[in-house]
Amino acid sequence: MSKIHHRVRSRARGKRLGATVAVAVSTLALLVLTGCGAEAVPGAVPSSGTPTPGGTLVVAVSDDAGCIDPQQVASNNTIYTTRQLVDSLTDQDPETGKIVPWLAEKWEVSPDSRSFTFHLRTDATFSDGTPVNAEAVKANFDAIDGLGANGTLALGYVSGYAGTKVVDDHTVTITFKQPNVQFLQATSTFTLGLLSVATTQQSAADRCSSVIGSGPFVLDSYTRNSSIVISKRKGYDWGSSLWKHTGEAYLDQVEYRIVPESGVRTGSLQSGQVDVIGSIGPQDEAAITASGASLAARANPGLVFGLYVNNARPIVKDPAVREAISAAINRADIATTTFPSQTKAATSVLASTTLHYASQENNLGFDASRAAQLLDEAGWLPGSDGIRVKDGQRLHLVALWSDNAATNKPTLELIQQQLRAAGVELELKLPTAGERTELLQSGNFDFSWSNITRVDPDILRSSFSTLLANSYRVPKTELDDLLTRQASETDETKRAELVAQAQELIVANHYAIPVVELTTVLGVGPKVHDLAFEASSRIQLYDTWKSA
Amino acid sequence: MTLATRIRSGARFAVRRPTLVIAVLVVAAVVVAAFGPWVFSTADPLTGVPAQKLQPPSPAHLFGTDELGRDLWTRVVHGAALSLKATLIAVCVAFVFGGAIGMLAGFLGGWVDDVVMRVVDVLLSIPGLLLSLALVTALGYGTVEVAVAVGITSIAGFARVTRSEVLRVRTAVYVEASAATGARWYQVLLWHVLPNAAGPGIVLATLEFGSAILAVSSLSFLGYGAQPPEPEWGALIASGRNYLATAWWLTTLPGLVIVALVLSTNRISRAIDRRGELA
Amino acid sequence: MTAVDVRTAIVEQPWEDEQREPGLHDEHPGVEPVPGRASRPWVRYVVRRVLQAVGVLVAAYTVSFFVLYRLPGDPVTILAGGGTGEQLDVDPAKLAELKAEYGFDQPVWLQYLTRLGAAVQGDFGRSVQTGEPVTAVLLRSLPSTLQLSTAALLVSVIGGAALAVVATWTRNRWLRDVLLALPPLAVSLPTFWIGLVLVDLLSFRLRLFPAMGDGTVATLVLPVLTLAIPGGAVVAQLLAKSLLRTLDEPYIDIARAKGLTRGRIHLAHALRNAALPAFTATGMMVGNLFAGSVVVETVFGRNGVGRVTQQAVTLQDIPVVQGVVALGALVFVTVNLVVDLVYPLLDPRIVTAAKD
Repeated sequence: MSKIHHRVRSRARGKRLGATVAVAVSTLALLVLTGCGAEAVPGAVPSSGTPTPGGTLVVAVSDDAGCIDPQQVASNNTIYTTRQLVDSLTDQDPETGKIVPWLAEKWEVSPDSRSFTFHLRTDATFSDGTPVNAEAVKANFDAIDGLGANGTLALGYVSGYAGTKVVDDHTVTITFKQPNVQFLQATSTFTLGLLSVATTQQSAADRCSSVIGSGPFVLDSYTRNSSIVISKRKGYDWGSSLWKHTGEAYLDQVEYRIVPESGVRTGSLQSGQVDVIGSIGPQDEAAITASGASLAARANPGLVFGLYVNNARPIVKDPAVREAISAAINRADIATTTFPSQTKAATSVLASTTLHYASQENNLGFDASRAAQLLDEAGWLPGSDGIRVKDGQRLHLVALWSDNAATNKPTLELIQQQLRAAGVELELKLPTAGERTELLQSGNFDFSWSNITRVDPDILRSSFSTLLANSYRVPKTELDDLLTRQASETDETKRAELVAQAQELIVANHYAIPVVELTTVLGVGPKVHDLAFEASSRIQLYDTWKSA
Repeated sequence: MTLATRIRSGARFAVRRPTLVIAVLVVAAVVVAAFGPWVFSTADPLTGVPAQKLQPPSPAHLFGTDELGRDLWTRVVHGAALSLKATLIAVCVAFVFGGAIGMLAGFLGGWVDDVVMRVVDVLLSIPGLLLSLALVTALGYGTVEVAVAVGITSIAGFARVTRSEVLRVRTAVYVEASAATGARWYQVLLWHVLPNAAGPGIVLATLEFGSAILAVSSLSFLGYGAQPPEPEWGALIASGRNYLATAWWLTTLPGLVIVALVLSTNRISRAIDRRGELA
Repeated sequence: MTAVDVRTAIVEQPWEDEQREPGLHDEHPGVEPVPGRASRPWVRYVVRRVLQAVGVLVAAYTVSFFVLYRLPGDPVTILAGGGTGEQLDVDPAKLAELKAEYGFDQPVWLQYLTRLGAAVQGDFGRSVQTGEPVTAVLLRSLPSTLQLSTAALLVSVIGGAALAVVATWTRNRWLRDVLLALPPLAVSLPTFWIGLVLVDLLSFRLRLFPAMGDGTVATLVLPVLTLAIPGGAVVAQLLAKSLLRTLDEPYIDIARAKGLTRGRIHLAHALRNAALPAFTATGMMVGNLFAGSVVVETVFGRNGVGRVTQQAVTLQDIPVVQGVVALGALVFVTVNLVVDLVYPLLDPRIVTAAKD
């Protein structure tokens, strides 16, 4: 190339460099400048006062279950909607756990807990005009069996179902083949919420698209993974005896928007684009409260978040190892670091809001030196990289988890960190859905990180009884007997005693290592009032109202 | 040439091409970080002090801290090894398999060529990310799985380029000459066609680095990559997005690192793409 | 125009020595000599291209079927678990019932043939997660993605073209350098990162646009911008390169000699001819938009095909994933077919033989 060409090229190159740098620097500057400085504007103090009817509440949730049938859905985010569409036979007081009237004004339970008779109120109707009567109740319960694998939850509540008898127009008796103590509590759930007869006659798949209930709200539209709109039921006047007012709900409409991005949900609440958000992380709290919104929280009853042990695996079969791992976990640290501020460390395998919860605090303390001592005594000695070794084998354990909650990942990483300090190497494995099923069945895992939300402690039996699926391969002990007996014990006091003993056995033997209670935390905008939680910590919007 | 002359001409070369020098430095830094992260940071990427969580960038923490109080700069540095590994696997898979397919198709011609290029067309007709999503579902989650999925998606491009080069070279005189002297077809292929047809493939490989990095980080952003607590860059941004409203540095800074690396590999690729001459 | 060629085009600066200029017509599949417009060869050509397209579609379906089939567990068992990560006790009999209903208990080849036969008639089965017919799922989510893609395509083309035109017209060296430095930068930005940064800057801090949603035009702004940045870069680079080459052509000199204004030459003559090669990249751009929609729809909470895909992949909802793959291939093949058929009509100069 000629010299002139060279010079032209190098000048061109120089200019090009300048241009590139200019662009890069200004982009960077823009990012950094807008990165600093901008603060959230503090909001106005929320007004209180008399409820005003009217308005649309906008709720942003992180995902959609893909189905709007309350009897088929177990996912919290969709339950926020389905709870408003149906009424239940009974309701449960979130404070006391007492079962109170709703669609059923009164009821009788046979001494052997196999037969339940409900006397329905006479004025309730479904939104298609048909009456909520004994025939409707029968149609609902008879249809549960046909839900197949989609209705796992409902089927669990009515296991041993023998049939429903229509005694008269507003009286119905439901019977079971064996005692079913938890059934009365189950009738207060949305899972056994009543749907119109026409709905019960549809296929499970069709029910997922649209349902007709008798609830204070009616389904307007359901666009999967996008939005759900429900509107006030005209003429509604058969609410739960727990609710604060009578007649129609206050809100005209509720719109649920599916927003998977947590940062986007928070930002939208701050800027007033939505009124309520779910799935809040601790990092969002300051921003939410700074913008004038508030946090509403309630611990979810049921099995807490924890490391559920596969008790048949070689390393964790040793109770000393399980105890050491439990002692090496600093639960308080976890609750304050990766969870929203109202979250509590677990004090039993059941959450504190569960019926018949009994504290096992003594067995769930943090004691790093005791953990070290136990592992030393069990023959696990620290290796060169800090991880303990015994007979040439590293103390390496695998924990399965799923990405359905944003808190899971940082929590498990923190547990990893804490266990590493004790010399335990915890490998986190996020399986695909298919892999997970296979692993659970084959037992190729040491821990499973999960939780289950249920008000009734019978969930202990579903999870730990060797007579059922026994995914955790719990050994046969007197625990089985306790769990079976509590399922048929009709005396509440005696049942509480049995459930307490079961919790003690599980925790003291470390068949499961509870860590923290799942707490539902919602961000609530300043214009929203009286957002209520029902007994399983899902929202109840009947008494909720919006100020202008 | 004396050493001094060489150094001087090298310096002249460098000064005339400042963007290339920066690009090489960036890539070199990433390679160093991949093999010897302690050069850039002595902190532990896996241990944090929870009380120091979510702090903005400062002299003590260049990139700030994350949700568990871990130093983000350290995690980014340690993530270089993962990204480099994934990218290398992806490009190698694409280069080796794509190159082999293209070479066979171009060299053998006839119905083999037709069939093979049909298959390549099919691969091209399925949008890249979609194909890699389907592959990830089949292979499972993880850095290696994602890398292989991305690599397979890029096979088509390599096949086409290699094939067209082979077609060009196949008719060259030296190939005919070697065939005339009695060399077997595979000897001709290996000793003559391959070295001469490889050029554009190598250029494409350097170009593929950039897009492989982007594809791998996209898949890991969607959640199919490394398991926690591995600080893969896409995963860092993915967990950072939960804190977008309050901790912008968790998404912005790792992203800038990705951008810098992709820009650099593209710049280097442009430089090499002058039939061996450096621009 | 292959993906390869376009990426190469991005990285090169247009005014550098053009030693290895990939002949834009050379590798273009399926373009045959069209002497005059004789109808018999033309009809044959069209039929051949259409048949090719159909063949590619069937092959794409086959590839996706076998890729997805190699799975560990099966989706029905997952479905029964409630999809929430919580563990529930499932009755094996019910499970077997569901499996039979979805056809997972048959041998592989039988499933494939049955599914293919149905697919040809437009039936892609039912989603394992919701029981809805797959076609319904896709049709429902298509409008949102179509809105997004069309708007993004328009903005990319207009924005990219504007940048290329201004950059090649301006006599200000510095401005040209800055403008032409933008596309290589834009192409190096991860799509998800652009989206998040835009949400942070324009929605949370400056409060200009909504961060999520489907309904209004305002909700389209940020997602479209996110997709249009890399998309526009591709257009800008291709067009700038093509424009510079066109401006060197002899007929431009003639036009100048004839006394036409610089603006008229640039827009009416150079641009029109330079646009044609860029036109061939449309198929690839549409494919990229489709891929980008997976990420963008997640970040912005839009209900489109991309999000449906991501969820289907996570839940291993095979029928839906196959439907999406078929859709993606269909779109890509159709766009390319249209381009292949229209291009010879626009540019009668094509004489290069097909390399296929």
